[in-house]
Amino acid sequence: MSRRKAFAAAMLAGAVVLAVAASQSFAGGASHRSAAASGVIVDGTTDTVVNIDPANQYDYGSFTLDLPLFQGLYGFPHGAKLAPVLATGCKASGDLKTWTCALRHGVKFADGSPMTSADVKWSFDRVNKIKGDQGIYTLLSNLKSVSVSGAYTVVFHLKTPQSTWPLILSTNAGYVVPKAKYPFNKIVPNTSPQIGTGPYQLVKFSPGQQAVLKPNPNYWGPKPKNSGIVINYYSKSSTMKLALSKGEIDMAFRDFTPTELGSLRKTKGVVVHEGNGVVIRYLVFNVTRPPFDKLAVRQALAYLIPRQTIASRVYHGSVQPLYSMVPAGLPGHTDIYKTVFGATPNVAKATAVLKAAGVTTPLPIDIWWTPSHYGDASADEFTEIQRALNASGLFTVTLKSAEWAQYSGALGKTYGAFQLGWFPDYPDAEDYVVPFFQTGNFTNNGYTSAKMTALITKEHGAKTIEARLAAIQAIQAQSAKDVSTIPYWQGKMIAVGRSNVKGISSTLDAAFYMRFWLLSKS
Amino acid sequence: MGQGTSLRAYLLTRLALVIPMVLILLTIVFLLMRVAPGDPISASLGGHAPQAVINQIKHQLGFDKPLYVQYWNYLWGIVRGDFGTTISDHRPLTDIIKVNGAATLELTFFAMIIAVAVGVLVGLIAGRFRDTPLDVGGRLFGIVVYATPVFFLGLMGQLVFGVWLNWLPTADRASPITQATFTTHTNIFVLDAIIGGQWSALGDIIKHLILPATTLGLATAGIFIRLIRVNVIRTLRDDYIEAARARGITERSVVFHHAFKNALVPVITIVGLNMALLLGGAVLTETTFNWPGIGHALVQYLGNRDYTAVQGIIVVFALVVVAISVLIDFLNAYIDPRIRY
Repeated sequence: MSRRKAFAAAMLAGAVVLAVAASQSFAGGASHRSAAASGVIVDGTTDTVVNIDPANQYDYGSFTLDLPLFQGLYGFPHGAKLAPVLATGCKASGDLKTWTCALRHGVKFADGSPMTSADVKWSFDRVNKIKGDQGIYTLLSNLKSVSVSGAYTVVFHLKTPQSTWPLILSTNAGYVVPKAKYPFNKIVPNTSPQIGTGPYQLVKFSPGQQAVLKPNPNYWGPKPKNSGIVINYYSKSSTMKLALSKGEIDMAFRDFTPTELGSLRKTKGVVVHEGNGVVIRYLVFNVTRPPFDKLAVRQALAYLIPRQTIASRVYHGSVQPLYSMVPAGLPGHTDIYKTVFGATPNVAKATAVLKAAGVTTPLPIDIWWTPSHYGDASADEFTEIQRALNASGLFTVTLKSAEWAQYSGALGKTYGAFQLGWFPDYPDAEDYVVPFFQTGNFTNNGYTSAKMTALITKEHGAKTIEARLAAIQAIQAQSAKDVSTIPYWQGKMIAVGRSNVKGISSTLDAAFYMRFWLLSKS
Repeated sequence: MGQGTSLRAYLLTRLALVIPMVLILLTIVFLLMRVAPGDPISASLGGHAPQAVINQIKHQLGFDKPLYVQYWNYLWGIVRGDFGTTISDHRPLTDIIKVNGAATLELTFFAMIIAVAVGVLVGLIAGRFRDTPLDVGGRLFGIVVYATPVFFLGLMGQLVFGVWLNWLPTADRASPITQATFTTHTNIFVLDAIIGGQWSALGDIIKHLILPATTLGLATAGIFIRLIRVNVIRTLRDDYIEAARARGITERSVVFHHAFKNALVPVITIVGLNMALLLGGAVLTETTFNWPGIGHALVQYLGNRDYTAVQGIIVVFALVVVAISVLIDFLNAYIDPRIRY
C-alpha cells in the first residue's frame, strides 16, 4: 500500500470511529442522562469559586460549594434560625467576653477521623494565622484566643463583649477542618482533597467547570436525599438558561436576569422557586463630599427614590422595596425609611426640605453604578432612578459607571453617590448595620456619628435579645436621620428547577443557604 | 552546502528575533495591566473589606512595591519558567495552560479541520465553476461567514440546532454527568476518550464539539474559500493545464490531479497565519459556548484585573503564535530557496 493510500485509510478509519461514536450518542445519548436520572442532581450556577479551603473563602460561589462539605459549631441547618451544629451549645460568661462551647460527640470527618476540640482550636487559629487575601479573618477580629478543655470543650476568649458570637461561629470563618490534613500557615489548593464534617465529600473539582460531590459515608447526621450533586459553572446566564430549558441540568442556583426569569416562568417543565431573600441594594453617600455633605440633599433623594418602579418595571417583582438597611424578615427590622420618607416618592416634601436648606434647584448630581458586579439589570435600575429624580425637577442626574475592578477601589474615595449591594456574613440585623455605620466603614463614605457609635457598642454588649433588638431598631432610626445610605430593594432567594426536582422551596429562606442535601429527583 | 549554511543562519537569526519580540510583548502587557484602572485586590475585596485590610493584602502580595521591582520579579519568574499563581483564585498558571490550554487546542484543531474542509471544498467548486450560480453562492457564503461576528454565528447555531431542532447541546465540553465520571489524562477530551476506550463518552464529547468547532471553523473558512477559488482559477489558466488537456487527459483528471493540487500549496501558509485569528476567535467562541478554554479564562481574569493570570495567558498566546509563525518561515525558507532575509 502506498503511503498516500495508508494515510487516506488511517484518516478514513479515524473518521469512522468518530462518526460511529457520535451517531451512538445521538441515538443513545440517554445513557448519560440516565445517570442523572438515577438521583444525582446537576445544578448550574454563574457563581465562581475562589477558595474552597474555608480559611480563605469569602465569596458566595465558594460558600455554596463549602456548605455541603464543611460545618461550624453553629449554623442554619433547618431554616433562618440559628442552631447548634457541631456544638451542642455555647454559654457566655457574665461579661460576654468568654464563650464556652460543648462539642457534639461522635462527629467524624469525611476521611473517618474523629473531630475533637483540638481540630476546632486549630481551625480558628489557622484562619487568624493565614490572614488570607479574601479577608475572612476579619470576622474573627474580636477573637483574642481559643483554648480547649478536654476533647469536647472549646473556650473562646474575646477582646470585647459580644452577644452575637454564636453568629460568628456559624460563618465559614468558623468551619472546622482536621488538624492532621490542613497546614497551619497555608491554604489547601482547590484541586487538593478537601475534608470536612458535612453531608457530602468533594470527589472532583475542575476550576471554572465543575464540582462533583457524593454523600459523605461518615456523616453524623441524616443522609442526603439524593445520591450526589454536580455543580456546573457557567460564565453566562443565557447559556445556563438554555441548558436548563433543554434538561441538560436539573436546576440552577443562581443567577438569572429578570428577563430570563420571566421567560423561565413560561417554560414548560421548569419551575421558578422563590423564598425570602436577604440580598439588598442601596445607595451610599460620601457625607463629606458636596453636594451630598448637605443632609437636606440626602433627605430629598430619600424622598424621591422610585422603589416600586424598580421592583415592578426592572425586576418584574423578583425584588421588593426595602425601607431599612436591615431586610424584612430579620428580627429587629423596621420600615424606618417608609415611616420617615414615605412608601412612594414625594416630590412636595423633597421640594420643601431643599427649599428650607436654601438649595438651588435643579441641582446637578453624579450617581455612580457598576455594570459588572450587580447583574445586567443595574443599567435599567439606574435609568429608573435618573428618570424619577429628573422628573421631580429638583435634580439633574448624570449617571456614571465603571467596571467593578475600578469601581470597587474607588467607592467613597472618589464618588459622591454610588450603588452597592450587600450579602450578609450571617443572617442577622447586626451584619446590616455595623459594617455601614461604624466609623471608617468599608465604603469610605466619611460617615461618623458619636450617637451611632454608642448605639453599636450598646448592641454588641446587649445581654438579652430584647435589649439587642432595641439597639438595632435605634440604629435604624438614627440611620434614617443621618441618611448616609438609602436602601431601596431586597432580593428574593430564587432557584429554578426542572419540575421533577423536589425540595427546592424548603431551602429558600432568609439564611440564603442552598441545602443540597434536602433535594431529590422523581 | 552553501545553501545549507545560509538556511541555518537564517533560522538562527529568525529564532534570535523571537526573544526581543516576546520581551516587547511582555512589557506592553505588564504596563497595560498596571495602567488600566482598578486592581485585583480591590476587585476581590472592594465590596466588603475595610481599606486597611485591602492595603495590608496589597502589601503581602507586593503590589505596593515600585513598578520596576514588580517588572523585574515578573520577568525573572518567566525566565525561571515560573508563571506564578493567579491572584483571584489562586490557581497555578501552569494548571491553566495545561487544562484550559488543552480545551482550546482541541477546539481550534477541530475548527481548523472544518475551516480547511469547508474552505477547500467550496473554494474548489467556486473556482472550477467560475461565474456560475455555484460560484456566486460559494463567494456569497464565504463573505457571509467571514463577515459575521463569531459570537453571533454561535448564538444562531445554538438557537437553530440547540433550541429549535434540539439536535445538539448548546454548551460545555461534555454533558455534566459525562464530565463528572470522565477520566482525563491529556485534558484533550476526544483523545482521552479514545485512549481510555470510553466510547459512549466520546460520542457525547463529539456532539458537544460540533457547534463550537463549526462556528469557529466557519469564521475562518471564508478566507480559505476566497484564496482557493482565486488559485484554482489562476491554475486552470496555466500552460501546463492546457498542455494536459491537449494530451487528451480527461477534464476530471486535469482538474483533480493537476489544478487542485497546485492550488492548495499557498493554503499551508495561510493555515499557519490563521492560527492567530483562530485563537482570537476562540476567546469569543469559548465564551458563547461555555467552553472552558484559555480564552474563556482570559475574559474572566481580565474582569478581575488579575495581573498574573492575564500576563501568563497572553504570553502563552504570543508564544503559540510566534512558534507557528517561525515554523511557517522555516517551511517557506526550506521550500523556496529564494527566501533569505
